[in-house]
Amino acid sequence: MDVERKTYVEELDRSIYDIKNEFRYSYKAEKGLTPEIVKDISRRKNEPKWMTEFRLKSLEIYNKLEVPVWGPNLDDLDIDNIVTYVKPNTDMKYSWEDVPEDIKDTFVRLGIPEAEHKSLAGVGAQYDSEVVYHNLKGYLAKQGVIYVDMETAVKEYSDIIRRYFMTVVPPSDHKFIALHGAVWSGGSFVYVPKGVKVDIPLQSYFRSNAPGAGQFEHTLIIVEEGAFLHFIEGCSAPKYSVNNLHAGCVELIVKEGARLRYSTIENWSKNMYNLNTKRAIVEKNGTIEWVSGSFGSKVSMLYPMSILKGEGARAEFTGITFAGKGQYLDTGAKVVHAAPYTTSNINTKSISKDGGVAVYRGSLNIAPNAHHSKATVSCESLMLDNKSRSDTIPVLDIKNDEVDIGHEAKIGRISEEAIFYLMSRGISEEEARAMIVRGFVEPIAKELPLEYAVEMNNLINLELEGTIG
Amino acid sequence: MVLSIQIKDQMNLLPAKTYRWLNVNHLKMDETIDKEIKAYNKKYVKEVKDENIIIGRINNVVSFNQYMSNIKDDKIEYGISKRMVQMAEHMNNAGIFANVRKGATIKEPIIIEYRMDQDNDVVIDNNIIIAEEKSRATFIIDYSTTEDVNAFHNGALKVYAREGAYIKVIKIQRMNDSSLHLDSNVAIVEKDGNVDFIQVEFGSRKSVTNYMSNLKDGSQSNIETIYLADKEREMDLSYYMNHMGRRSISNMEVKGALKDRAKKVFKGTIDFKLGSSKSKGREEESVILFDKDVKSDAVPILLCTEDDVNGQHAASAGRVDEDKLFYMMSRGFSREEAMQLIVEASFNPIIDKIPLEDMRSIIREEIHNRLVMEGNQ
Repeated sequence: MDVERKTYVEELDRSIYDIKNEFRYSYKAEKGLTPEIVKDISRRKNEPKWMTEFRLKSLEIYNKLEVPVWGPNLDDLDIDNIVTYVKPNTDMKYSWEDVPEDIKDTFVRLGIPEAEHKSLAGVGAQYDSEVVYHNLKGYLAKQGVIYVDMETAVKEYSDIIRRYFMTVVPPSDHKFIALHGAVWSGGSFVYVPKGVKVDIPLQSYFRSNAPGAGQFEHTLIIVEEGAFLHFIEGCSAPKYSVNNLHAGCVELIVKEGARLRYSTIENWSKNMYNLNTKRAIVEKNGTIEWVSGSFGSKVSMLYPMSILKGEGARAEFTGITFAGKGQYLDTGAKVVHAAPYTTSNINTKSISKDGGVAVYRGSLNIAPNAHHSKATVSCESLMLDNKSRSDTIPVLDIKNDEVDIGHEAKIGRISEEAIFYLMSRGISEEEARAMIVRGFVEPIAKELPLEYAVEMNNLINLELEGTIG
Repeated sequence: MVLSIQIKDQMNLLPAKTYRWLNVNHLKMDETIDKEIKAYNKKYVKEVKDENIIIGRINNVVSFNQYMSNIKDDKIEYGISKRMVQMAEHMNNAGIFANVRKGATIKEPIIIEYRMDQDNDVVIDNNIIIAEEKSRATFIIDYSTTEDVNAFHNGALKVYAREGAYIKVIKIQRMNDSSLHLDSNVAIVEKDGNVDFIQVEFGSRKSVTNYMSNLKDGSQSNIETIYLADKEREMDLSYYMNHMGRRSISNMEVKGALKDRAKKVFKGTIDFKLGSSKSKGREEESVILFDKDVKSDAVPILLCTEDDVNGQHAASAGRVDEDKLFYMMSRGFSREEAMQLIVEASFNPIIDKIPLEDMRSIIREEIHNRLVMEGNQ
């Protein structure tokens, strides 16, 4: 079913790429983010009053909080002048011609259809994929599934949004999520009713988005009792944005006995600060499965969190991080066991090369009442040269005796013996290395839908090119 | 002269900071100790009849500066905090200086004992051990309280292991439950040298300890720890293996047991610096949890800027196997005795490395006291 996307995309009306961005508004340059700017964002979106107030409250929190003192260096982010990251900037050219050559080149080499290039690159109008989206919508609607953009959801499903919006991730969590609360725009809302099993993965970039979306987009997914959904965010194509701060938010609510799989392949262009917050609350016997690939951005801080709130809830996290030249990818996973008989498995792999920094940062908390919980954490790091850096910073916090916890981490490089063996079998050194790296990431690749896995492999091959000799 | 010592400090700073809400980036210490710092009058160094070692009270070895003069790394930053190390180095009332001669092997372990009592309830010790090329020696430092006092201990130990030297340091802390124990240790291990630390951490209301090894080419350092915390006691252990040279090897093995409402934070870092190629670092922590109100934090960190290394860490935690307990109880052991057996089974491989039978029985007795005697009360 997954392959449908490709066929449909070919049928897209090419003319949509020529639509100019009509939302080019520009605020007067003021230092800092003012309530007026925030109000204006809300007014333009024609939002209900509660949302306007919510934004203003978030702004207040934003102004009070400080930038994290741990993790990557964020000095290059112009925090005092955050407003420049918020407004779509008309001064900067925002067209296909400005997309760096290497990114354009990558599209071709990843084998992505030409029609998708511009929209994927984040320039041109976000394509309003009438055909794909509406067919899909009809199919889903029959089952009672709601799949709309967040702006529409706020208006049409105001009650439900109001009840859940930023309750999983409150704006008080950290500075960038407070910023998100104040200026969020775009994103998806998915509601899967009780017992419905959605048999095709929903892919976020199917849908039309408001301008500036993809920068502060908000995703809210509610999977009701016994239902199932696979949601795919992003894609392996590099995503270019002139506004180089991304502070999205993903809130997932998994009800009793439900299962949600949330897959992400993220490949922001290498000027991006990707400070994303993702969190799931899992109720009794529910399951959250994260599949997360981080390839792009200049700096990433991304630690999807699973709160196992109901008895027997489960979380699985499978992640891969590939840090190349100039990249500082600080990623990981957090799990809170807040109920008895809960289970979590974290499995991450990271690769660093060419001066890239890959950090695994995680936490595992077992609450006093979470007896009979089981948790395993496994982190593996591969360094391809000694210009790079790879750190593992996990925290295990256990407040209950009836638990079973295991943590393992390994760091190392490709064994020369393995290379030698493969070369003795007639495989070139370059291919041998690529094979070993592909083998290393295989556990992640196999969790992805086929075309994503293929694209990820291509991506790895591209990244590995020129690493040798 | 009664001085009150104000200790308001951040201790055992995590080498790489992380999320603040977890409260593991440092330990906040706020204690006032109304004590007089006076000379520690009891004898604490057992006589050594071996001419291959110079040893004495740090204040008495007038000429120890001459030994220090050719030491490059004397300005090293280490320990639980800068201020505590300064206190130990400059306001001490005890400590030893030892110099082991080139090529010499000191067969008998050197024993340093602090028995704190009403008149000697403060020990601030500064210790320096210099092991010359290819020398070998073992030091046992034992901190205990003999009377019901609120003892205070703050110590610093520097070990310089020259090329090919082998030094083993065993530190035993079994002070009473109202005492405060602070301890900073560093080893500078030169080419092909080896420094082994064994830490037995059983006592004190609060215990904060820090071990660091700077590993040069071909050197090795091991830290093996057993800890036992019960009642309201708190423990903060921080280890740092700093691989600076090629082919250096480090091992950390930490085994613990937590009972009642005890709290423990373990921070273990292996840092592979650029240039430490072909090095290996291993870290393992396992803890047995006896009660549901214990709190156990572990932060096993791996830092790596060198690709040709092999680093591993593992941590595990779990409650005592009920089946195992039940089986032993069916064989006539009380629950507490069965618990003691399980802890001893975990601790024995490390206890067995202590070269004195007396010391080994003291440690086993301590386990017995904490798990069986008090359990029966």
